[in-house]
Amino acid sequence: MSGFGRRTLWVVAVLMIMGYQIHAQHGGPSLPSVQLNADDLGPRSIEDLTRKSVPRDYAFAWQTMARALAENRVDLLNGYFTGLAKEKLTQRIEAQRKAGIHVIYSDRGHKLTGLFYSPAGDAMQLRDNAQLEIQILDGNTLLQKEQVGLQYMVLMTPGADRWLVRDLQTTQKH
Amino acid sequence: MRHYFPVLLCFAACLLPGVSAAADLRPPAQVTAGTDFSIASDANGEATFYLVGPTNVSKRKVTLNGSIPVDGDEIEGAGRYTAILCVSGNCNSASFFVQPDAPSRVSLLVHPSRVRVNAPNAISAAAFVFDKYRNMILTPQNVQFSATSREGNPTTTTRSAENGVAWIRLTSASKEGPAKIGATIAKATEVRIVQQVASEACNLRIKANWISRQLWVETDPIRDCSGNAVPDGTVISFTKVDDSGKTTVDAPVKRGIARVQMPVQGTAHISVASGVVTGNEIQMAGER
Repeated sequence: MSGFGRRTLWVVAVLMIMGYQIHAQHGGPSLPSVQLNADDLGPRSIEDLTRKSVPRDYAFAWQTMARALAENRVDLLNGYFTGLAKEKLTQRIEAQRKAGIHVIYSDRGHKLTGLFYSPAGDAMQLRDNAQLEIQILDGNTLLQKEQVGLQYMVLMTPGADRWLVRDLQTTQKH
Repeated sequence: MRHYFPVLLCFAACLLPGVSAAADLRPPAQVTAGTDFSIASDANGEATFYLVGPTNVSKRKVTLNGSIPVDGDEIEGAGRYTAILCVSGNCNSASFFVQPDAPSRVSLLVHPSRVRVNAPNAISAAAFVFDKYRNMILTPQNVQFSATSREGNPTTTTRSAENGVAWIRLTSASKEGPAKIGATIAKATEVRIVQQVASEACNLRIKANWISRQLWVETDPIRDCSGNAVPDGTVISFTKVDDSGKTTVDAPVKRGIARVQMPVQGTAHISVASGVVTGNEIQMAGER
């Protein structure tokens, strides 16, 4: 093999390793699909950048939450959760760990509808229709597995470089 | 016969009391956060009961006798819960929703923290309604907003919260000073302070004096059009045109006035401005 060919192989190998590391940092579950409908959002109209960053950051939030609940790791919540959402999830993960339970979410996607964007741009409320597969395990024993469509009320607030989930509450579909 | 033995054994096991394979669970259709309730079950005997909710997860051994009691502190978080009952390795589950309790907390966002006086709709306030367990209440609730400034009576407005959020826009008062913006629901009130500061300078006027052979130019006390003193640090620009050309000097307001020393050659025309507001112009002869 020529020197050029060997160098190319090395570059490809290094890129593959870097790609794996980036994937590993973001966690096991893949990034779920999130669609945002901001047609009726108000009173502030949504900025182009916010229209892109809210669904992107919400997807990352679900990816990290799924991993945190599967591995019972509170530290994973730091990236995309704050306030009540972070406190409640922390409480839940600690209770899961204590009971020896873990919950695996297989995410089938989210449809977000914007409900309220504060005049100052410091809070956004959204409704999420999520399609999920949820498995509840006690140790390695599967207790329950279900495919379910759930509705969440979401409150997001802007952080330094991303939107953070501040409240996440399941609500009953009517 | 050997082939039928496991089937018979299983059948016999199912007939034994307390080892029912179909441990049916029937939770109530709706439960309020923080209240004790029971989940009905036909099964009898020993079992393991799991409750998985948004803020709490529990596992315990139960002796079944028609229903499983659940303490209110296990369901303080509103949302969807999954109850699982396992009897001899066979698990059955049911889900139910916990609704928020009565409104008792309000969270208030007010922007900006500092605003000019007489600015129409410049203050915005958004109130989020919660119960005592910090569950957002999504049913319509009336939130009373109040604004109290230094100059007079508080004003109140009621808005209905939609999906747990009520909001309002307010015009700042004409006098500078702190304004208290409040939101009240039930017995809970949350207050934020907005500092109202003077608007643009108005009626800028300068005068000049020779002191120790130096020309000092200073403003009258600088106020906005409502009579509020502009804050110290506001930049005032003095512009001089004389035989040496055009010179602009910026000076911050200190104790209500701005002051600069300007050398003059020949006859000078001196004017003053603050932002887009211009003041009077004076003419001074050179050094005497």
